[in-house]
Amino acid sequence: MIVEETLVQELKTKTTQAQAFEVLVRTYKERLYWQIRSIVLNHDDADDVLQNTFIKVYKNIDSFKGDSKLFSWMYRIATNEALSFIKKRAKIQGITDSDYQDKLVSNLEADVYFEGDEIQLQLQKAIATLPEKQKLVFNMKYFQELKYEEISEILDTTVGGLKASYHLAVKKLEQYLKND
Amino acid sequence: MNKKNKNPFKTPQGYFDSFEDNLMEKLSKNESVIPKNAGFKVPDNYFESFNDALKSKLNTDSKVVPLYPIKKIITVAASIAAIAIIFLGYNWNTEEKINFNDLANSDIDAYFENYEFDLSPYEIAEVLPVTDSEFSDFLSSTIENDNILDYLDENVSDFEELNFEDNE
Repeated sequence: MIVEETLVQELKTKTTQAQAFEVLVRTYKERLYWQIRSIVLNHDDADDVLQNTFIKVYKNIDSFKGDSKLFSWMYRIATNEALSFIKKRAKIQGITDSDYQDKLVSNLEADVYFEGDEIQLQLQKAIATLPEKQKLVFNMKYFQELKYEEISEILDTTVGGLKASYHLAVKKLEQYLKND
Repeated sequence: MNKKNKNPFKTPQGYFDSFEDNLMEKLSKNESVIPKNAGFKVPDNYFESFNDALKSKLNTDSKVVPLYPIKKIITVAASIAAIAIIFLGYNWNTEEKINFNDLANSDIDAYFENYEFDLSPYEIAEVLPVTDSEFSDFLSSTIENDNILDYLDENVSDFEELNFEDNE
């Protein structure tokens, strides 16, 4: 178990920075990867965004004031990077974010790194219909099993609001899957 | 007689303590049609080799930035050119400005006639400096006192309708 304050201090010190960064990447890469992957869906895009996230963390570690946990801060950067990535790609293709996300879901059928069955594919289609906030909360709670308190710090939303969003998302997804 | 002693049944040890957890577990299994696994996977050894890939990207990313990068020079030159073009364009197209006095009265009348301002009498009253205005300002010809008396005589059936007393 790493002590966050020590790690942050080491990251800010030139002589210990490289080693501390390796520890940081080793500790958080998988969790951040799954957060990003749940947004961009495709592995190659998730890899790009994950690398950019760590580069951003590395370059901006001095601006990390410690108001939130390092983990929450990085999660926030990862989430923002992934969402911006989607928006940028949609803009390049001249389509709306929502259309781009539909396209991502339909690409899953031919994706070698998606081994989901019909129900899992339907679930991704259902998730794509949710509003952005509900989508994020559902993925973070259901698949990544983050605590409400952690999600609250990452998304800067009250625990009560998150519970409501999650509950609504689950109901909508169940409805979608039952009707399908 | 003690009621408790009447009950011959008993429960396994800790049954009620773990009841809620067991119930929730059963509920979560039965209730949801949502699969627990999203179905995504990653290439073999992706996470193991991630650090090396990131390091090489970081090294490429932090290459030395030239003191006078060509992009910067082009940007500055383009900015200067744009400013010059705008400035020259402004001079070419400059015409004498039209002011309020150049508008014909008929244009102003037409404007007020053709556009609805949706102003209530109260809103108009707020805008117009009524305290400095006289009725004669709004009338094209003056009204003689005799005319006023004739009008009242013809149109007011009961003289008390005028409520002179209240207005005194």
